[in-house]
Amino acid sequence: MISELLTRIRFLIFRKRRSELDEEIAFHLERAITTRIAAGMDPAEARRQALIEFGGIEPTREQCERQRPGWWIGTVRQDVHYAFRGFGRNPLFTISVLITLALGIGATTAVFSVVDRILFRPLPYAEPSQIVSIGFVHPLERQEFVMGRFYVEWQKDQTPFSALAAQSTGVHNCDLVENDPMQLSCVAFQANFLPLLGISPLIGRNFLPEEDRPHGPPVVMISYGLWKGHYNRAPHILNRMINVDGNPVRVVGVLPKDFQFPTLEAADIVTPFALDPAVQQTVNGGFGYPERVFARLKPGVSVVQAYAQMQPLFNDDVKWFPPSAKSETRLSIRTLRDRETRDARPVAWVLFGFVLAVLLIACANVAGLMMARGAGRQRELAVRSAIGASRGRLIRQALTEALVLSFAGGLAGLAIAQVLVKVFVRLAPTGIPFISEAHLDLRIAVFTALVSCICGVIFGFATALQKPRMAALNAKAAMSRNHAFLRRSLVTAQIAISIVLLSGAALLLRSFTKIEDQNLGMQTGGVLTVKVALPWWRYNTNQKVMDFYLRFESSLRRLPGTRAVGMTDSIPPGGWQDDFRFSDLRVQGKSPFPPGTGGTVAGRSVTPDYFNALNIPIIRGRNFSDQDRTGDEREVILSRLLTERLFPGEEPIGKRFLPGAHVSGSGAIVVGVADNVKNSGLTEQSDPEMYTLRRSVSGDWSGNHLIVIVDSAMPAAAIEPWVRSEVSSIDRTIPVEMEPLKLALNRLADRPHFETTLLGFFALTGLVLAVVGLYGLIAFMTTQRTHEIGVRMALGATRGNILRLIANDGLRMLLVGLAVGLGIALAVSRMLKSLLFQVSVYDPLTYILVPLLLALVALVAIFIPARAGMRVEPAATLRAE
Amino acid sequence: MAKNDSLQGSLDLLVLKILSRRPRLHGYAIMAAIASTSGDVLHAEEGSLYPALYRMEEAGWIRAEWIKKDSGRRARIYELTAAGKKQLGTAESRWQSVSLAINRVLREA
Repeated sequence: MISELLTRIRFLIFRKRRSELDEEIAFHLERAITTRIAAGMDPAEARRQALIEFGGIEPTREQCERQRPGWWIGTVRQDVHYAFRGFGRNPLFTISVLITLALGIGATTAVFSVVDRILFRPLPYAEPSQIVSIGFVHPLERQEFVMGRFYVEWQKDQTPFSALAAQSTGVHNCDLVENDPMQLSCVAFQANFLPLLGISPLIGRNFLPEEDRPHGPPVVMISYGLWKGHYNRAPHILNRMINVDGNPVRVVGVLPKDFQFPTLEAADIVTPFALDPAVQQTVNGGFGYPERVFARLKPGVSVVQAYAQMQPLFNDDVKWFPPSAKSETRLSIRTLRDRETRDARPVAWVLFGFVLAVLLIACANVAGLMMARGAGRQRELAVRSAIGASRGRLIRQALTEALVLSFAGGLAGLAIAQVLVKVFVRLAPTGIPFISEAHLDLRIAVFTALVSCICGVIFGFATALQKPRMAALNAKAAMSRNHAFLRRSLVTAQIAISIVLLSGAALLLRSFTKIEDQNLGMQTGGVLTVKVALPWWRYNTNQKVMDFYLRFESSLRRLPGTRAVGMTDSIPPGGWQDDFRFSDLRVQGKSPFPPGTGGTVAGRSVTPDYFNALNIPIIRGRNFSDQDRTGDEREVILSRLLTERLFPGEEPIGKRFLPGAHVSGSGAIVVGVADNVKNSGLTEQSDPEMYTLRRSVSGDWSGNHLIVIVDSAMPAAAIEPWVRSEVSSIDRTIPVEMEPLKLALNRLADRPHFETTLLGFFALTGLVLAVVGLYGLIAFMTTQRTHEIGVRMALGATRGNILRLIANDGLRMLLVGLAVGLGIALAVSRMLKSLLFQVSVYDPLTYILVPLLLALVALVAIFIPARAGMRVEPAATLRAE
Repeated sequence: MAKNDSLQGSLDLLVLKILSRRPRLHGYAIMAAIASTSGDVLHAEEGSLYPALYRMEEAGWIRAEWIKKDSGRRARIYELTAAGKKQLGTAESRWQSVSLAINRVLREA
């Protein structure tokens, strides 16, 4: 009888046997009951007493399970499972959280991938922070350079560096002459250049010291790209003789695949620099050739200390300089990173800031959503807590849900990031270092994981902070005061951040339209620019170069539709041009200008048709004529700006320049004044300009810059093949590059365009997220207050009262958000200064329109849910009680 | 069933001591032994006893074994391991020094 009773008890307590632990507890209870029955207690009473004495069976079981190492793994599985069930019940919530997170994380990751190389990643050299670029800087050359003569002295006398190494000032075109001639770019560096960077060749060896001497054995290293593309990665490339520019040279090494020149130029072939100290003392007026010099700081020496130690050497050098250069030349030492990324850093930081702000909005949004859901679940939590879930367990549950969500969001975000990076790289203009190499990699994936975890922990805690209250078991779920305040603050912050983002983007947009709309002073439509790369080792005299171009010019003139064919060494408004110092100009009958005054003048050497092709009006005097091209006199045309500076209130025509800057031989005569043309890039103040006539005299054809401009009635696509065939009819093997001038100009505006697009995109993403957050909160609060609204209406509140009641809340958040946001925006907009063109960082239009726009959108987001609240049927809500 | 707080910290010690004297006891018997040997002063609660048993088993101080009882039910019985004996020694001496110290304080206060 007893055993029957016990079995019944067992089944009463344990519906099914779950584990040995259950069995043990059951045994315990049996014993407790039998002991009591043996002591004479009534069986039912004995069972009751035993169960009371035992206390909570479930907590005991849980406690016991917790003694096992790794017990929590089971609960994690439970929590995850539970989380998924919860998400499944509430798909709308899940999807909105996922989208918000994916957008936030995706954008962050993509931008981080882009700015990582510019801002954070160490350069690909050994101990890159010790490598510096050192040399003179001058208003005409802002990248460090050193004249060979001084470099030789520095190598002997310098103290702060463990090594100095030089490379040629830039890459130059060179030809690989094999069966099929190929134009490559070549550069030269010293034998200790690679060791200084801490790089060794992929295969083969670096230059030997005896090869890095004047008249040393001719050897080269080649780039990985050339090795792979042209030699198919053949290992026997080593020691092979190849022909560069007509000279046989031996290949001794291949540079590593990801090797990057400190100047960020790309070169296919490297030759030994072969510095000749004796020659450097004599050439170029005794200064030697300019070169780029990189150095490695001795351990413990800072850039500032190095600067101080090099100053005396520099002071000695500068004594040799002509007086005009003396005052303007400075010593410069900066880290390699600084040299490589200086221009891109402001954009990168702004972009990074923007995207962090978007992430912040996204996080706030998700936190808001989670909290709203949490408020709806108070009853559920209270029930779980009542049946024995500890507070820690509930927090863990909340965290698990948040982490699961952010992990899923992170995955989706990675996919979005992948797409965004592709888009960025596609959109990106040239000149932003490293951007073409931007891609998602392990570091970035880790970054994403980190971001999503942080997001998860933030919302997890935001949700878990609400303590389940027993009152929630019977009371209708109501938003607690603190909680409501937190959510309101989140939405207000979102609005504030949106204002900051939008005003930043709006400033850039204003600046961009100003850049686009400005008058360049010349026509760009229908103009084709043609660049011909003459191999210098075959066209080795000015005469040959001139002959080629004159033949080319006359053949282009014969093409149908051609209106003008001009030749020049540069084209405004951007890119290289022959700048010189204003103070170096010598005007007959005027005393020389004080050195270092007047800034820079742009010089251009052009043929008469240059002005016709670009439609630059001659406002005084006359254009160059074809007779001038063969005459002995040298003619110049000045820009209006230069005329006003040189000859204020005087007649400029007929004035003479003495030999000096940009004018050689016996001086030159002013024949005309041309209208101003934008010539210092799209965003800078224009410089005065001086045009010299490029005569048909071989002396005028030195220098390796030459651009042919064709103004044609025919579309570019139609004349390009003709131009190509004209070139090959003169010289079959010469490569030609052609581009409509309009395209080249668009490329100059690429960068502001890129910045504006990107920041605009992020600002809009932020705006959408913030408005969704505002809408969600108002809608949620309205639903929560349905009952209250019903009561109010039953007591006589009009629909207008109700609308005001709900809208007031939203309006308050909106107004506070606007005020705070405007304050922050005004405070931080200074950071955009370097990116803006002719727009003040306090541009009033921006700061009026942006809040208006945001307020408009936000009002809609407030009004829609408020209207829903207004339509509440009092009878229906009260009956639902 | 007054809760005896000082018992909580020393539950391990009590269980180890009981098992050292009378090996191969099941949970209920341990509880009963604690009550009877202390003259019904100390009561180990089930909610603490079983977690303590599982904890000490994980720590390797005691080991458990299922045996068949006459009633046909299985019971889980516990006995001391070598590590448990050592632990008992340290715990006992710590307990004694603590109680000695407390006694001294009580006497002089």
